[in-house]
Amino acid sequence: MADKKTMTLNMTDAEMEALEELCRRKDLSKTAVMKQALRLYQLINARLDVGEKLFFEHELTNKKSELTIL
Amino acid sequence: MTERSVAYLYHRQNKKEVEVVFIDGVDRTDVAKAQESWHKLLKDTKSEHAHWNWNEKYQLVAEAPLAYRIFGLEAEGQMQGLMLVWTAGKFCRIESQKGKPLIYIDYLATAPWNSADVIAEPIYAGVGKVLIRAAVQLSLEDELQGRIGLHSLPQAESYYRDNCKMTDLGQDKAYYGLRYFETTPEQSASFIRG
Repeated sequence: MADKKTMTLNMTDAEMEALEELCRRKDLSKTAVMKQALRLYQLINARLDVGEKLFFEHELTNKKSELTIL
Repeated sequence: MTERSVAYLYHRQNKKEVEVVFIDGVDRTDVAKAQESWHKLLKDTKSEHAHWNWNEKYQLVAEAPLAYRIFGLEAEGQMQGLMLVWTAGKFCRIESQKGKPLIYIDYLATAPWNSADVIAEPIYAGVGKVLIRAAVQLSLEDELQGRIGLHSLPQAESYYRDNCKMTDLGQDKAYYGLRYFETTPEQSASFIRG
C-alpha cells in the first residue's frame, strides 16, 4: 500500500457543513469524500485538456447544460 | 506506481492451483504486450471483446491515474487477465444503496488461451474471480463497503449473475443496451467469503 501523508484543511462553516452533508449522504468519512473529489477533479481536467466538454443531462427532459471548470 | 503480490489461479491441465503474480498498476509496456499477444488469437474469433484495444484503455489511466486503475494477473511471462476500474464518479443504482459511490469495472478480460470461447482446452481458470475480488477489496479499502458495478457483454451475463451472484438490474439503454450488474455490501461480503 502507498505511503500516506496527513494534511490539515482550513474550511469555512459552510464548506464544513457541505462536507459533512456529503459524508452523511454517501456514507463516507471526510477523508474518503475528499479523495473522491480529487479523483473526479483530476479526471475532469484530463478530459477537458484533450478538448472534451462536461455536460449535465436531465434524465427525463434530455436538457443539457455545460459545466465550466476552473 | 506498480505493486506486485501473490495470487492463485487453477491450472486446468495440471489440475492444481498455481501461484501467479497479481499486478496493481500494470504499466504501458505490459499492457501493450498483452494487447499484441491477445489480439493475434482474438482477431478471427467471435469473442465479444475481440475488438477491445487495451492500449487505448491504458491512455485513460495515464491521463487520470487516481480515477482509473488497471490490474493484471501474470503467469509464465504472459498476462492472463486485465481489469480497468473507475474509482470515482459512479454511483449505485440498487434501491437500498442508491447514490452511494462504488467501484465500477469498466473492462475485464481473460487472456484468449484461458477462454473456452476461443480455444478447446483453456489453460487457467479463475481469472475473473481473482480480479473481481480485487475490485471488491479496492471498494473496501476506499470505504465503499465492497460495492461494485459493471455492464456485462452478453457472453458474460450468466457468469456475473450465477457465479458472482450480482444483482441484474436489466438492460441499460443508455449504455449500448448492455445489462447492468451491481453488488450490495452483503453480496460482496458473500462473494469474498466464496
